Order: sequence, then C-alpha cells, then structure tokens
Amino acid sequence: MKRVFVSLALSALLPVGLHAQEVAVGLSANQAQVGEPVQLMVTVRGARGADVPQTLEVKGLRINLAGRSTQFEMRNLKMSSTLTYTYLVVPQFEGEFTIPSFDVRIEGKTFRTQAMRLSVGGGTRVPQTPALPQNTAPLPPGQLPPPTEEGEPFFADLVLSKRKVYVGEVVPVELRFYFNSRIGGQVGERPNFGGEGLTVQKFSNAAKREQVVNGANYVVFSFQSAITAVKSGTLQIPEASLEARLQLPGRAPQGMGDFFNNFPLPQGMFTDNREVTIKTKPAQIEVLPLPKEGRPEDFSGAVGRFAMEATVSPKKASSGEPVNLKVAVSGQGNFEGMGAPVLTGDEGWRSYPPSDKFQSTDSIGFTGEKTYEFALIARQDQTRTPGVRFSYFDPATGKYSELVQEPLAVDAKAGGTTPPVASGTPGTPQAGKPAPSVAPASTPDVTVMAGGATSWTSLFSRREFLIANASLAIAWLAVVLVLTMRKFTESRAGRELARKKVVRDAFAGLKDAGPPDFYEKARDYIYLRLDAGADDLAAAAKIDSSALSPEAKASLHQVIERHGETKYAAGGSPPPSVEERQSVMSILKELEARYEK
Amino acid sequence: MKNRLALVFFLALGAFARADLLSDARARFQDGEYDQAAKLFEQSLEKSPPSAAVFYELGRALNKTGQEARSALNFRRALILDPRFAPARSALQEANVALGIPPVKQGWRTRVVERIPLDALGLAGTVLFWAGAFAGLSAFFPRGFRGGRLVAGILSLLLGLSLVLAAWLCDPRISLANTAVVLTNGGSSLRSSPADQSEKLASLPQGSTIDILSQRGRWFYGQAPGGTKGWFLTEGIVPLIPPP
Repeated sequence: MKRVFVSLALSALLPVGLHAQEVAVGLSANQAQVGEPVQLMVTVRGARGADVPQTLEVKGLRINLAGRSTQFEMRNLKMSSTLTYTYLVVPQFEGEFTIPSFDVRIEGKTFRTQAMRLSVGGGTRVPQTPALPQNTAPLPPGQLPPPTEEGEPFFADLVLSKRKVYVGEVVPVELRFYFNSRIGGQVGERPNFGGEGLTVQKFSNAAKREQVVNGANYVVFSFQSAITAVKSGTLQIPEASLEARLQLPGRAPQGMGDFFNNFPLPQGMFTDNREVTIKTKPAQIEVLPLPKEGRPEDFSGAVGRFAMEATVSPKKASSGEPVNLKVAVSGQGNFEGMGAPVLTGDEGWRSYPPSDKFQSTDSIGFTGEKTYEFALIARQDQTRTPGVRFSYFDPATGKYSELVQEPLAVDAKAGGTTPPVASGTPGTPQAGKPAPSVAPASTPDVTVMAGGATSWTSLFSRREFLIANASLAIAWLAVVLVLTMRKFTESRAGRELARKKVVRDAFAGLKDAGPPDFYEKARDYIYLRLDAGADDLAAAAKIDSSALSPEAKASLHQVIERHGETKYAAGGSPPPSVEERQSVMSILKELEARYEK
Repeated sequence: MKNRLALVFFLALGAFARADLLSDARARFQDGEYDQAAKLFEQSLEKSPPSAAVFYELGRALNKTGQEARSALNFRRALILDPRFAPARSALQEANVALGIPPVKQGWRTRVVERIPLDALGLAGTVLFWAGAFAGLSAFFPRGFRGGRLVAGILSLLLGLSLVLAAWLCDPRISLANTAVVLTNGGSSLRSSPADQSEKLASLPQGSTIDILSQRGRWFYGQAPGGTKGWFLTEGIVPLIPPP
C-alpha cells in the first residue's frame, strides 16, 4: 500500500480545539422496530456548552433529550473537549421518518444539524445496519459492524451487496474503517484489497461520517468499489486492510500510575503512538457460471441491466460522406468488460469498428452510459441505417436479454470512390475484423493525372512570394507618402510654412550680401516680411500702418529710397558704409523680431 | 563560360538520372517487384522535388508489400501536394479500411481543396488585394477625389484578402504541418503523462494521425483524432510532411 498519509484524517479523528467549533449528528441505527429505542447523538466540539432542544417534534417518533456527557483531551499541551447530547428516539408506529434539521446554539452562534432518515418496521426485528453515507450505492441490509467492546479503538467491516453472483457481474462493495472518536492519528489514502479470481475497481475517495456503535462514538471512513468475479465456484474474498498511524490513549509511565491516578487528569494526557494495519474479516461469495442455455450468438459479455437507444447524424449524406450511428447503452453492469452492439441488415453499408466512450454516474463505474459510434458509408443509396442488436445477461432474472434498435431513417448516397457491392461479396468489415488489404483496382497513368505542388512549402512561405509582396507594400507606402506630402504642401499651413522659410532665407542672405546688392536685398526682405508683393506703394502703406516706432518706420522708408537711388540714379549711389549697414541691420532685426512674434 | 556549361551539363545529367530511377521503379512495379520498386521510388523522391504522383506510386508499391500504414502515409503525402488527386484519395480510403481506421467526416476545407487549386486561389487573392490597395489609393490622387474608385478598391481588397485567407486556411501544407502518423506495429498508446506506467487514455491503431503540440524528450504531447489530448512515445511516429 502506498505510504501516503492524508492529513484530512487527522482533523476528522481529533477532537478539535476550543477555538474551532463543530456540530455533528448521528443515529445509532437507521432501522428500528416500533417501540425499540434508537439513540440520536449530537456531538459538539470546541465548546464547553451548547443550547439544544429538549424534545424534537416528529409525528410517529418520540424524541427526548436523555443526557449529556463531556470528554476532554489534551494534545500538545492544548486541551480540547467533546460534548455529546444523547436523545432517545422511540418509534410509535412503522413507516419512513425524517428527523428534521434543528438548531444548536454555541456561544451566540447558531449551527444547523443535518436531517436524518429512520426506517421503522412493524414485524420481527431486522438486524441493525449502520447508516450509509448519502453518496453510497444502495446496499441491502445485512452487515452489522462486529460486536465491539466499549472503547475498542478501531475495527473494520466489509459490506457486500450480494453473496451469490454470476461470473462477470459487477458487485458493489464498501469497506468501512471505524475509529473511536477519542483517538487521533492519520490513515492511509487507499485500502489494500484484491484477490485471486476477482477484479477490483478503483476505489472512490474516502467518505467520512460519524456513527454510534454500541454506545460509543466512532468516525467512519468508507471506501466504495466494485468487484467482478472472473471464474465460477466459491470465491474467497480476502481481508482488506488500511494502514494507520494512531495516537491511542496511553497509560502513565511504569511505576507512576498510582501517583497520577490520585489526580483528576484529562484524557489524552498520555498517548501511545502506534502504526497499525486495520483489517476486515475475509468473506466468501458463491459465483455461478453464465448459463449456456439461451446464450445469443452475438453475446459479448455484458452482465447487468441495460437500456439502449440510437441516433443518426447527419440525416442526409452526400456521396462518400460517412453517417454517424450513435448507440447509447445505459444502466448498471460491467461496462468495462462488455463488447459493442452488433449491426444488423448492414448489407450495402461499409462500417468500421466503433469508437466508444463511457460516462459513469457513480464513483465506482457501476452505473452509467457507454456510447458507441459507428461510422457508416453507403455502398448503395440508402434510406435506412442498419439496425442494432445488443445482448446481455441479466443476473436479476438469470436469463439472457436482447435489446433491438430498428433501422433509422437516413438519406445516404452511395460513395463515389468505393466499389459497388458485388453479389456474393462478404459483409462489411466489423469490429476486430479488418478488411483485407486492397490495392486500387485500376492502375491509372499517374504521370498524366497527378499535378499539384512540387514543394512542401506553401505559397505564402515562399521567398519569391514574400519578396514580391514586400516590394508592393513598399511601393504602396511610398505612394502614400508622396500623396500626403503633396497634400500638405498645398494646404494653408504648408504654404505659410514655405513663406516663413523664404523670409528666413532672405534675412540670412542679407548678412552675406555684398555692398552693391545690400539695399536691393534689404528691400526685398522688407517686402517679403510685410507681405507686400513687389508694390512700392503697398509696402509704404504697410510700413506706415505697422506697430513699429516712428524712427524705425523712417529708417525703413529710407532703405527703400536708397535702393531706388542705387538702382536708378545716374552714376549710382555710393555703397553703404559699415555704420550705415549696421544701422539698417538693427532696424531689420527689430522688424524680424516683431513679426516673428 | 566553361563553368556555366559544366553546371548545365551536370543539371541535365541529374535530371536524366532521376528519370531513369523513376522509369526503373515503374518497370519493377509492372514486373511485380514491389519491394525494389518502393526503394527506387524512395530514392527518386530523395533526389528530386516532391511529387504527388511519385508518392502515390510509392504508396501503391508499399501497399502491394503489405505495408498498409506506410502506404497510407504516402497516399496522404500525395494528397497534401495535390488535394485533387482522386486516385490517391481512393487508395487512402482503401488503406484505412485495411487498417481499421474509421473515415473522418469531410470538412469544408477538404471540399474546397478538392475543387479549387490553392496556389491559384492564393495568387488571385494576392493580385486582387494589391489591385484594390492601389486602386483605393488612386482615389486620392490630384485632380479631385473619386469615391467610386475608392469603393471599388476597398471591395477588391476585401475580396482578395478573403481568397488569401481561404487559401491559407485550406492549404494542407499549413494545416497539417504538425500532424504525424502512427507507424508502430500494434499502434500507439495515448497516456495521461510522459511516463511508461502512466494511465492509458486511448489506443491508436497503426495508420492513425496525431496532431503534435509539443515534445518533451522521447514523448510527444498531442491530440488524437477524437480530440483527446495526451502523451505519445515518439518511436514509430512519423511527421506527415517530411522534415527538410
């Protein structure tokens, strides 16, 4: 067994510290007779007291609080306590009763218990069966936990749902491991179980509950599984075992017992750590062989109780297109070991071994639905699918049964590439019967017929394709760029930007202008800056209306006049002196500065 | 000049050698020497660009020698190169029947590739796309905006894009780039984790295809045809598209 120990067990087995409060309820039995009292235990952990109702009102049951007991335990110097309130439940008449949930108040907090079911019979007393957890498969009564002495720390029990089974029949089993709630420890993740002549399903996860057995409170871990007998005869079911590391109540050190016995010490003061293997008792079942009489030819080993239904899709299939016949077999039985249903009347169809998928609705794979999907291709035009037949053995009746699904309506055209069925041709390939290898009948001149690619690289990954597209993309982007620039140049902002550049260039050219050109360039700059075109009158008007100082305006007029003199006066005008040039430049700088703003 | 002449000479010699191999392979096939024919077809494929016809012929030769899984692999390769190659499709169906592999329902991609040459579709889409892109741009040329040209350009661009997308999605050289075929005798097992003792999720018969998603050591992580994902041993699993 895997030495993997789970800590969840510890929390379940240990009485919880005072800071963690918990309430649990349980019945000493879930079946009773009229007048026979049953105990209802309310276990409160992590509290020194609780408010519980004195009586519970359930028609047909008399339920009264009978008493309260307290258990203390010390572990790692931490004290914990468990309170147990015991009710006596006395059935008044027979029937199925539900004891409703009720409130337990602990230090101002309200905890609600779970509802419980009690079955009351009127005849002779039936053996008590420990209550099954809600998620267990229904098992018949029969196994009472072995008689225990008061305080027995642990024991185990194997619950079989049947003692007489057929080969291949799935039998749910439950392994229960009982731990007295006064002890702590850890338990293994899975029990060891198995034996010759039987197969065991994977175990479900451990279910935990509390139960009163012979007046003592136990934590029960139950593991569910299913066994299948593989040969007939009397089958010994070996013991199942679970490893655990337990902290059992211990005794005072040798020679000190008398001393400690003089004091009212809490339980758990001394503990005994032990690794133990808890075992169930071996059992035996009688395994009957499946009868030969009445066994259908197509029986594929299914044992249980089943139902079957089928659907087909698509309802219309073009030439060569497969239709999917889905057959769902549901119920309880050996889904793992059974074979597929068989197709009937499938001449004219090509069928293939079906795929299958199992969906279990319980934790042990006993109940569920197995779906088989047949892919069918019509050899000839078809209006109905093949029928389906499924045979199984029903252990409840001890007889074979047969489920039949009639053909379903479908419109399937014959496959174009598959050869038509010749008369006397054997049936289609079925599950486990692959068709013989068939080479194409004809030997076409493939060198003429075949074309296609001559490279494993797709068109989109080829270098030439990528280069061509990249070139086109670059060309497209270039055109976009040119168009955008042109649009900008033609826009008002673009024009303004261009004019500013011309003005700036004119001013910069002024600094480098030689004496003959200086006045001409100065005039040109003034015209550009004032946006006066080439018109002297307009320039003069703009100078006058500008915000320049009167001296600056006069200087600008003078520059224009000097340009006229230089250009038109006979003999020309003397070149500007250095001082004159500096004076003009300072006036123009003032003009530049003002208009730049 | 001499070097060029030598190159042309050697290229011509190579072409003749390949042609000889193919002729020899076909002759062997006709004579019923299928093993020899298969070897020669394989040699021819190693020395020349892939050809749907030669893969098909190789598949037929392997089929005759009873190697159904390998023959199915080569029929599949022929169909990747030429999805409209009907004899290869028919031969693949037959080989799959022999291997016990159920047919897969034909999807829209298969239907498209069976009818339309994909490279032509892709090229037509590309031409339409760029024609639309430039036509749309011309609407903004000087001499005034032209709305009609813009609309026509956008439509052409979208149509071209759709055709390119369709060709991309349908091209088996792209969609089957990560697909492999089980050639191991007895098939392969799909396991829940990359360990020999891990839970077996499914069995895949010889000739089944797997979509490879990743690799870890001697294990592939992949998807079986039913959609179940898990781990496969790499041994005996061959990529559908031969590695370069």
